Amino acid sequence: MRKARRALVAITAAAALVSGCASGDTGATEVWDPIETPNRILFSLNRVVDIIALRPVAVIYRDWVPEPAQKSVRNLLDNLGEPVTAINEVVQGNPHRAATTMARFLVNSTIGIAGLFDVATQLGLERTKEDAGKTIGLYAGAEPENGGFYLMLPAIGPSNARDGTGLMIDYLVDPFRILTFNLAIDWTVYQAARYGMNVIDYRSRTIFALDDLEKNSLDYYAALRSAYTQNRADLIRQRREKTDTKSELERRDNLALVR
Amino acid sequence: MSLLAIRRVVLCLAASAAVTFFALPASAADPAKLIETVAAEVIEIVKTKNGADRQNAIKKVLQANFDMNAMGRSALGTHWNQTTEAQRTRFLTAVETAEARAYSERFGQYAGQTLTVGKVTTRPNGVTIVDSRLNQSTGQPIKLEWEVRNGSQGPVISDVKVEGVSMVMTRRSDFNSYIQNNGGTVEPLIKELEARAAR
Repeated sequence: MRKARRALVAITAAAALVSGCASGDTGATEVWDPIETPNRILFSLNRVVDIIALRPVAVIYRDWVPEPAQKSVRNLLDNLGEPVTAINEVVQGNPHRAATTMARFLVNSTIGIAGLFDVATQLGLERTKEDAGKTIGLYAGAEPENGGFYLMLPAIGPSNARDGTGLMIDYLVDPFRILTFNLAIDWTVYQAARYGMNVIDYRSRTIFALDDLEKNSLDYYAALRSAYTQNRADLIRQRREKTDTKSELERRDNLALVR
Repeated sequence: MSLLAIRRVVLCLAASAAVTFFALPASAADPAKLIETVAAEVIEIVKTKNGADRQNAIKKVLQANFDMNAMGRSALGTHWNQTTEAQRTRFLTAVETAEARAYSERFGQYAGQTLTVGKVTTRPNGVTIVDSRLNQSTGQPIKLEWEVRNGSQGPVISDVKVEGVSMVMTRRSDFNSYIQNNGGTVEPLIKELEARAAR
């Protein structure tokens, strides 16, 4: 009996602590960045690489490669990513969505000629994109703005503990990576080409937004940190929405009160 | 549940139903219309004006339809209380110029974008969220959410979120970081903003 009471007290205390944190967390607080100095150093290095190599290539890709070719590359890369999305959708508890994604994959890999053409969308199978960072965010009790400590990754750019872990998980469970590894065929070249193309394609689609953010901010690092965190939180909220419609709007109300 | 409690609940429900019934038609229709009007105005400006002309026209739209005061205040966050009245005026003027320039340069040439207004959600604290999509001629539509408040002269826009990224929140982080890295006072921030506005 006494044990039970002590447990109850402990639980109440823990609950009070947790809820205390929750009520203090209005979403208006800054992104948690305990390793800001190394992050900023990596950010400067990334920017050097970006300015002299990545951005120019992305600009040439965007402006010189014909639109249909870009679209086919996009489709091909998306198609290779579908199995990882399907795995995440299963873990997220959405098997129907996962089935649709796998149907997309099968249709596009065959009729769509190895994924070059997105036939599935025309058949009414809409594309979704999921990653393990979002899956963790869906199940983590924390506010989606709180993805653990902020992390600047080499070459990849802004991330955090949650999304960095997610990236690693996605890499590990990716059937294409496992397949090529187990077949013992030397497909390193293809893998490198795939990841390289992904980076260039992604960069070409973010030129406008990132240029704008850089030009209109005093501290580009801080502005990007905030924008990245908000954008990821928004994506996670869309997944959570079925059970938790109000959280975002209530956060905004709180923000209005903080000032 | 006691009878009294039930009565309270019923009263409460009735009251909120009445509020929703009477408040919705007026406040739900206006914000959506405001967004549509602003979008139409901005598209017209981008189509017909360029350079300084465009910047001035956009500034007028900002002054008329955006709650620049509240946005600037939110962006400064807790630092707002440490500023003098003169600093606040200077800060808001500089921010207004910066935003007008950012918007006028952002669009470049008009490339057939259109804005479709979607769901309108009214919050108990009087803030309305207007969902919309910016449709482009190529590529995916961009998700835009507008936060509308009731100002002294009708509804005003107090924040814009692009793909979940709030303009005010991003400025807030940006300014806060700049202040912390420059002696912890607002003066260097205002000077930098003014220098940029003068450029």
